[in-house]
Parts: sequence; C-alpha cells; structure tokens
Amino acid sequence: MTDIIQQLIDGLGRGSGYALLALGLAIIFGVMHLVNFAHGEVITVSAYVSYWLAIHGTSWWLIALAALVTSTLAAVVIEFVAFRRVRGAEDFTMLLTSFGVAIVVRAGFSMWVSTKPRQFDKPGWIFNTVRVFGISLEIYDLIVIGVTAVTLAAVAYLLRRTMFGVALRAAAEDFDAARLMGIRANRVISGAFALSGLLAGVAAVMILMRRGQAEPGMGLDILLPGVLAAVIGGLGSLSGAVLGGFALGLAEVMVRAWILPEGLTGLTDGVVFALIAVLFIFRPEGFIRVGHAERV
Amino acid sequence: MSDQSRYLRAIAGAMVLFVLLVGGGLLYAASGGGSRDILVTQMLINTIIVLGLQLFIGNTGILSFGHTAFGTFAGYSVAVLTMPVSRKMAQIPDAPFGVAGVHLHPLVATGVGILVALLVGVLVGLALTRSGAKSGAVAATIITLALLFVVHEVSLNWTDLTDGGGGLGFIPRLRGRFWIYLVLALSLVGTRLFSEIRVGRWNKAAREDDIAAGAVGINLVPPQTIALLASVVIIAVGASLRVQSLGSMTPVFFYFDYTLLTLAMLIVGGRKGVTGAVLGVVVITVGNEFTRYLAGGDVNVPGLGWLLRPNLSLLFLGGAMLLFMLMRPEGIIPSGEIDQLAGRFRPRIADDPPPTVPAIEPTEQRVPDGPALVVHDVGVQFGGFRALAGVDMTARPGEIVGLIGPNGAGKTTLLNIITGVVEPTTGSIRLGDRDLTDLPPHEIARAGLARTFQNLRLFGGLPVRENVAVAAMAGERYRGDRPRIDVDVLVAMAGLWNQRHRPAADLDYGSQRRLELARAAAMSPTLLLLDEPTSGMSDEESAVMIGHVRDTASRLRAGVIVIDHDLHFITNVCDRIYVLDHGRIIAEGTPAEIQRNPKVIEAYLGTRAVS
Repeated sequence: MTDIIQQLIDGLGRGSGYALLALGLAIIFGVMHLVNFAHGEVITVSAYVSYWLAIHGTSWWLIALAALVTSTLAAVVIEFVAFRRVRGAEDFTMLLTSFGVAIVVRAGFSMWVSTKPRQFDKPGWIFNTVRVFGISLEIYDLIVIGVTAVTLAAVAYLLRRTMFGVALRAAAEDFDAARLMGIRANRVISGAFALSGLLAGVAAVMILMRRGQAEPGMGLDILLPGVLAAVIGGLGSLSGAVLGGFALGLAEVMVRAWILPEGLTGLTDGVVFALIAVLFIFRPEGFIRVGHAERV
Repeated sequence: MSDQSRYLRAIAGAMVLFVLLVGGGLLYAASGGGSRDILVTQMLINTIIVLGLQLFIGNTGILSFGHTAFGTFAGYSVAVLTMPVSRKMAQIPDAPFGVAGVHLHPLVATGVGILVALLVGVLVGLALTRSGAKSGAVAATIITLALLFVVHEVSLNWTDLTDGGGGLGFIPRLRGRFWIYLVLALSLVGTRLFSEIRVGRWNKAAREDDIAAGAVGINLVPPQTIALLASVVIIAVGASLRVQSLGSMTPVFFYFDYTLLTLAMLIVGGRKGVTGAVLGVVVITVGNEFTRYLAGGDVNVPGLGWLLRPNLSLLFLGGAMLLFMLMRPEGIIPSGEIDQLAGRFRPRIADDPPPTVPAIEPTEQRVPDGPALVVHDVGVQFGGFRALAGVDMTARPGEIVGLIGPNGAGKTTLLNIITGVVEPTTGSIRLGDRDLTDLPPHEIARAGLARTFQNLRLFGGLPVRENVAVAAMAGERYRGDRPRIDVDVLVAMAGLWNQRHRPAADLDYGSQRRLELARAAAMSPTLLLLDEPTSGMSDEESAVMIGHVRDTASRLRAGVIVIDHDLHFITNVCDRIYVLDHGRIIAEGTPAEIQRNPKVIEAYLGTRAVS
C-alpha cells in the first residue's frame, strides 16, 4: 500500500512538469493553431540565466524569480520575432518555424557558450525526506506538487474570471469571431505567449532545482513529454493538456515499477511510447475531443 | 497525355537527375583528394534518405521528424547481422534472438532490416494515419518526433543488442559505389513515379484538402499508409548503405542531427517534388561543408571572428530552415519537376485545341436511372442549438430538386449531413435500399453522391485538369457502371481548357465554381449536390451556369439537389423545391406553387409583404 502511494506521488511529481508545459502549449495552440516546438527553448534560456546568476552567488529565491521573468520575456520575444510573421500560415510552415527557432537557439548557446553542460549548485535541502504516515517523501516532490496545484488554480481563475482570460478562451474558440467582437489579436496572442512562458518558467525552476545544469540541447528533450501530454489530452483542450501531463507521468512510473523487469527499466520510454501509439489507434483525438470549428 | 507517356517522361526526368547528381559528384571528387570522395559518397546516400522523406512528407503533407528513426532499425539490423561472429561474442554475447551466432550476407541483412523497419512502420502508421486523417497533421507530427526520441533512448539502453552509446563496429565495408548508384537510380525513379500513379495523386489531393478528397471518394488511410511504408523501405535501404559505407553504427547515426540535416535538405530544396529534394541535397551539402570550413579555424575574416566559431553549421541548418519558412515556405522549387520544364517554355500558340464536346442525345432517349435519395426525420443539435428538426426530403432519379431558405435556415447543414460530413442526431438517409446514415464521406461519394462546397474546396495547389482527373480516377474505380464524361471534355465544358495547367487556386471565383462542378461530375454520380453554385456570380454567369448544370446532369443521367438564395435561378432550373426555415421544411412543391405559397413569402419577405 505504501509502495503504491509512493509511486503515485512520484508519478504526480513527474506529471506536474509535463502538465505545466502541456498547458502552455495548449494555450498557444488555441490562439494560433501552432504546436510550438520552441517552447522548451524558453527553459533553455532560463537555465543559462540561472547558471550565470548561480555562479555569481545569487540566492535560489532570486534565481527562481529571474527564471520566471526570463521565461515569460523569452516567450514574448520569440512570438514577436518569428511567429508573428507566419500567423495564419499552413500548419506545416508554423511547425517548422518553431522547430527552426529551437535549432537557432540551440546553435547560439553551442557557439557562444559551449556544447558541454554547465553545472551549478542545487539547493541541497530539497532532497531531504520527511516521513508522513510511514511514507518517506522527498521535500522536492511535495514542493513540485504543491506549486503546480497553486499554479493551475491560479490559471483556472485567470481564464474564468478575468477579462484577459475570457478574451483568450474566446480567441481559442473562434479567433475571427473574437476579433469581430473587438478583441485585439496582437494583445491576446502576446498575452497567451507570456502566460505560456510563465508556466514554462515554473516548470523550469522545478527542473533546474533538480538538475542544476544548463545545456544547449535541453529544450527539446524537456519539451517532448509536454507535447505528448498535450496530444494525449486532446490538442487544444486546456484541461485535457493537464490531464495528459499527469497521465503520462503516472504511466511512466507504473511501467517502470510494475511492468518492466529490473534490468530493462531503460526501455520505459519505449513501452510508454508503444502505449501512446495504441491509444492513438483507438482514440485519435486524445482524451478530450475539441470540436474544430472548421466550416464546410 | 496518356498515362504511359506520363510515366516515361517521369522516368526520363529521374534519369536526368541521376546523371546530373552523379556526374557533378564525380567531377568534384576528381578535382580533389580522398575526403572529397567520401563527401560525395555520403551525399549520394543522403539523397536516397531525403527521397524517402520526400515520398512521404511531400505527397501526404504530413511533417515527419521520425523517418530517420526507421533508419536506426535498419541500421542496427544490418550491423548486428553482418558483424563477424567473433566480434559479437566479444561485444554483445547476450544479444537476444540468438543473433550473436548469426552471420548473414549484407543483402540478406538489408532485407531483414527492411522487414524490421516495416514492422514498426505498420504500428506507427496505424497511429499516424488515424490521427493524421482525423484531426489535421499536427498530432501525427508529434507521434513521429516521439518515435525519434524513443528509438534513440531504446538503442542507448538496450545494451545487450546495441552495446549502448559506443556503438557497433567492424561492419564489412561497401566496396565501390555500385550498390549506391543502383539504389539511388531506383529511388529516383520510384519517388518520381509515385507522384504520377494513382496512390500518389490521391495523396496529393488529400494533402491539398482532405475534406474535398473524401467528397470525391478518396479514403485517406490506404494512400497514406502506402506512402509511409514505401518511404520506410527507401530509408531502410539507404540506412543500410550508410552503415556499410561507414563501417559502424551508433544510436546517434540516425538521430537528431541527421534528421535536421535531411529535413533541411528537403525543406530548402522544395518538398513537393523530387527535383526540389535533389536540389536541396546539393545546396545544403555545399552550405554545410562551407560553414564547417569557415568555422574550422583556418579562415580569418577581420571583424567576423565572433561568427566563425565551432557549430556554425548548426546555425546554418536551423537558420536556413527558419528563413525559408519565413520568406519562401515552399522551398527553392515550390512545384514542378525537371521533366516538366520543357512544357513551360512551349509557346502558347502551339497549344492543343480543346476536345469537341459530344452532342447531347435527344431528351426522350435520356432515361434517368438510379436509386432515389430519401431523407427521413433528420435532426441535428449543436450544443443547445437545434439546427435541423424532422426534415423529410426525397430526390427521385433524374430530378432537379431545389433547396431554398433564408440565411442560417440549415441548408448547408442538411447537405453536410447527407454527405456524411456532419453526423445527424436523429433520422436516416437512404439511397435506394442502401442506408447511408452512418457511412463516412468517402463511402457516400462512392455510393453516388457528389457535392460542391459553398466556401469552395478545390485542390488549390494542383493544376486545374488534375482536380478533375483525381476525381475521375475515383469515378472509374468505384462507379465504372455509370455514364461517364471524359476529363478533357469536362474541363472544356467548364470553359477552363486554356487554363488547365494552372493551379486551381489561381482561378477567378466563377471559374472555381465551374471547376468544382466539373470535379463532382467526374465522379459519375447518381446525384449531384450543389451548394450555392451561382454565389458571387454575375447575372450572365448565372445564366450560363443554369444551362451548364442541366446539361451536365442529363449527360450523367443524374439527379441534382441544388441550394441557392437566388429565387430566380432556383425557379428556372428546378423541377421541385423544398423551403427550409429555422431548421424545418415549411413548404414543398413545383416552382409555381412555391412562388404562391404565403409561408414562403413570409419567410423571404417578412410578414408585412403578405398583409
């Protein structure tokens, strides 16, 4: 029993990061029908800023704040520089634009910093364990789950109760109609990117606390489970993205703990991928179907 | 042009590309040392892989990051099966399936590699085509990206078979370029022919508009699956050659960097054609080598030292991809092939004359036949909005039925339900004794219902004639027993003969409407369903359209259901009219009866006009 609970918490911890990334991706997909492969680069940029601050002896609280600000700004800048020019283009063009941005960011850090990972100190206390009802839990996992819960609640409030949230959801439902109602496209899209960048920033802080390193190619590696989660959940569905994130985290933990034999845990990703492929065969639209308002 | 001469021309074009590529490579290699020789070998092998990518991505329009992952499967199969047994006993003695003790000829090993890759291709293909066909290509792209990452993970961690990151060596090397030339030539011919055969052309139609493709009877899944498996075979063979030419195999051989390189080649050159893909290989190879040379430390340009650093080629590849997407998303050669160049410079005067439209048989001989369409009690609800309720409607063989009603009455929704695009909440649709209610759009099209779209859904990037020809292929295959109008005659009847080679998207509005009618007619339907065929047309054009609709229908011995706002048009062309208002049928009758019906006058002109 305690074993199951421990795995469950482990799975929720993993899923938290996926859910935050997937939610950011779903928000962007909603306003411009783009799956943003450059979303992970926001984390790469934050990681290098954190690295620079850490080696100059900045405290972790300030680093976390800086990572949030950097992610948000980076997302807005990327939209302004690249995506604004391909707005409304074919899916194919937009996908490759975001991929191109991801490569250029990776190339930039490879050329002007190093291809080798840059290490910096992690806050040591977060890896202490506490015992709750006979279950030993890492403080890190508790922080991650707690912060994610608060963040998701705040986003839910923002989307439901504020003018910006309503505009965003309206734009996601039918962009042209929203514009006719007087919603300003540039502002909503910039806002969507800022929000998704902020969510990525929260994920970035969690990841950096655990890894304590910056690397040019980290963006796509980190992003992939987030993208998968968004697709599993039903592309464009915000709650689906969050659901997909947690489902993916739990699936990974369960496959490793209960399905694969001891020596083969390195194949976890392979098994999870096969499961996802099977899911797509039976439910191609993901958990939550989003009614595409395409007029025929 | 006949099919045979199309194929011959395509093969000739592929051979020209082969000669240019190999000739250019040999000339370059002859001018320098051994490193140039290796570079040319790698370029030729890369061309094979890029052709594999082109076959799938170019024809289906689905972006795939994962195709190189199929190279990993083939690469490891070849590596494991051709390594000397003594090496395997030292490096991977516990390899599964007892492969450590097996030693195969490279040809046999390549065959096994193809089979392994195909096996994975079938599983991935199922997921890919299902999600690709249903919700746009984006989900499919993500599946392929995940495949790329997962295959890398697995090949790193399945050390019993792959020996992990260090990889496998001592693979017997290829001698000479015979096999490379042979596979390259076959891949060029194969990919070039693929875009000319039915499966390829149907893929391209679906790429341009999947809903319109369904409406002409194309089921997306088989063509997309065939394209996927064919591309997997080409990539598996290319990967086998790459591994044998390098003599080793590691998890990163067919991973991110190689995916980026080959994708950049395809995208920059022009993904929609073989010629573009080959040009892209050359351009990116040259650019990549040049940036490596610049960043290699041997070059010193004052003021540019900050740029000429290691990994400049990564910036080049990413930057090239990004800039092309922003400036020229279709690549250097957006459409067309080398063998079509000749036609472009041919003077206009030498154009073939249009075919003579055969005279139509006298009316009494035109016996309309085919089953009747019966719509019974159809209703549909979108959320809380009841768009249609209790709709009954019949279209007898050869009858021209009009459907009129104010904006938002539910006319197009009814048409979408009949053709399977929208699922009804209640009711049934039958054609003769066949129940169409739950069939997908392509099955309904094959059953004999062909439609046009209010918002125009042509295969915009394809030539005008090809729009009709694609539908005619489906008509021939699924509706061979019905009267047929030749493709060229249909194009001429629509008045588009002189524009038949232009992309459909370039036509003016009226021409696009006529082309949609021609495309629907090419299906040899029993019933034509036309959604506002005269919308946006001038009075003159509308008058021509009336004659055109009657003429086409009687040649096909087909009935017509036509939606329009234009009361004049409807009363002129129809035998019987249904009037729809707020989702219900409020009147039915001959044009004369409808014009006198007070309910109709009220719906159309408001209550005051009645009193």
